[in-house]
Amino acid sequence: MKAAIRHIMRNRRRTTLTLLAVLIPVYFLVMMFGFANSMMQDMFDSVTRFDTGHMQIRAEERRGTGLAMPLMRDASDALGALASVDGIEWSTVRLDLPALASVGEETRTVYLRGVVPEEIDPISNMAERMVSGEFLTETSDGVIVGEELAELLKLQVGDEMVLLGAHPEASLGAIRVPVVGVFSAPEATMGRTMVLASLSTARRLARSDTAATAIVLRVDGVTGPSDTRRMDEAAAALRAALPAGYEVKDWLELVPFVTGYLRILTPMMLIMAVVFFGLGALVVVNTLYLSVMERTREIGLILSLGASRAHVMGMVLTEAGVITLAGAFYGALVGVALVLIVEAFGGIPLWGQMAAYMKEIGISPVMHMSVTATQVLLSAGAMAVVAMLAAWLPARRAAKLEPMEAMRYVE
Amino acid sequence: MSSSPLIQTLDVKKTYVTESVETPALRGVSLELHKREFTAIAGPSGSGKSTLLHLLGGLDRPTEGEIFLQGQPMSELSKDQLAKLRLSSIGFVFQAYNLIPVLTVLENTAFVLELQGVARRERISRAQKILSELGIEQYADQYPHRISGGEQQRVAVARAVVGEPSIVLADEPTANLDTATSHDLIDLMRRLNEHKGATFLFATHDSRLLDRVNRLITLIDGAVAEDVVQRPADARIEAAAS
Repeated sequence: MKAAIRHIMRNRRRTTLTLLAVLIPVYFLVMMFGFANSMMQDMFDSVTRFDTGHMQIRAEERRGTGLAMPLMRDASDALGALASVDGIEWSTVRLDLPALASVGEETRTVYLRGVVPEEIDPISNMAERMVSGEFLTETSDGVIVGEELAELLKLQVGDEMVLLGAHPEASLGAIRVPVVGVFSAPEATMGRTMVLASLSTARRLARSDTAATAIVLRVDGVTGPSDTRRMDEAAAALRAALPAGYEVKDWLELVPFVTGYLRILTPMMLIMAVVFFGLGALVVVNTLYLSVMERTREIGLILSLGASRAHVMGMVLTEAGVITLAGAFYGALVGVALVLIVEAFGGIPLWGQMAAYMKEIGISPVMHMSVTATQVLLSAGAMAVVAMLAAWLPARRAAKLEPMEAMRYVE
Repeated sequence: MSSSPLIQTLDVKKTYVTESVETPALRGVSLELHKREFTAIAGPSGSGKSTLLHLLGGLDRPTEGEIFLQGQPMSELSKDQLAKLRLSSIGFVFQAYNLIPVLTVLENTAFVLELQGVARRERISRAQKILSELGIEQYADQYPHRISGGEQQRVAVARAVVGEPSIVLADEPTANLDTATSHDLIDLMRRLNEHKGATFLFATHDSRLLDRVNRLITLIDGAVAEDVVQRPADARIEAAAS
């Protein structure tokens, strides 16, 4: 043990190299987790706060509605069932209608979203997203539009637009509404297509006093995309309580592109981890092989004095273990420290095409970082295991040396 | 000698084969070594001295023949069993001292005890005691490269005897030492032989050492040419003086 520790101190350059071979992959993986977590959290916050909630109660899919959500003529039985389920933190009724929006000669396909403004504002922070004009009130007859749509239709606050309802299950209505505000949408597609109105205005277009397309819910205690257990429990309780004809969909089902990102993200993280760990392991094997080669005569001596092969192997593995543990520890430390530093400075602002792309997919163009203790331990632990497996080869070589041949070894 | 031999070899042969060329190093060596002997194996370079020593020490295996250590045939032992045997019964002193450079003199001395599983406190105490007996306790905390060749060889002797082996095998222990230091080392080993009952077997062609042993085995071309029990020179001088 003592000899192993002293060897670490004797060849500091090689020790440093081995240490870095473990430290860097751990640090990178912690950073990657940090970015990925933050990106997912950002996506989760943006999507669930502004669009989907944690889950929605909807009418069962029916043929003939096309891309439009099936209409609930009267959702009072669903609301009654909802009241009997524990763990629902917040809910609101919404009516989404495909529509044509006309301003002068310009017409575009849009989605009119009828909401209860007082209910969605605290969740979506819509008031803070207003670029001009004012957010809606329940009594307001006006609509607000995204910046992108306002630009496309050359709209300004105070202008009027004509909305023509196009829901296949609703009556064909047409209303003229004033634009009372322009908002910044979290995602560019939403900004180009979303028109927000009060629920009563949307129902006026659908010519129904009770129509709705979704009851949007937030589950108590759910703060991020990994809180799946609470969401699953709430969804199961809701499904059990709801009468026939309704279905419950969680946020991932409602925004399949996020599931797509998740599908890409996990293998990407794995591939990068494998590449980093592989490179780290190669360096560990190399440096330890060198160390064993350089000490062939010494190992021969130790064997000739009566050390068992297990002892020699243990000596090389102890050396590797100490460096590996130190590398994994400092890698985790550096990674976590950088995550904290990045957050202390308010994140890393992106610019140019990257920032535009992030906005397009609904992620903040300021990259934040967050990492969990499990992820840090996983990164450090996985690299430590890989490094020790890599150290096994040189350790085995050392243990297999013949004492006399090793003592005659000339470098 | 009437007691059962510590080591017995029966027609031991060793042939090295390199690229289909066979080089016989030992051509049938039979001998017995007994406890408390202070023996030298002499002979010119290439006579098979070191080979015999390595075979006796379980560092190599004979091509033919058998070696018994305390009645136990060594050919029946696995590599791990041979390692255990070396650890418990054989001490080595090499020509090039071969101390572990990252360990201090004390740690080098205690290393064998550590391998034997002796508790830390006891091994330090035993290592300090032997260093003191060999007059090198002042170097206990020094690393090998900080002390002279003669002192390093003393440490190697200390390491060889600290585990109280049945026999100490020394391969050309004085080859790298000047005359005075060689004499000191030989005196030291003689003392250990006489006072502690340690059995020594040297492979050497150093005449300074040959004169001081009580048995001299001469190897020529891999075979025992002469096996003489003699009175060591210092004993002869002491007798003459008295």
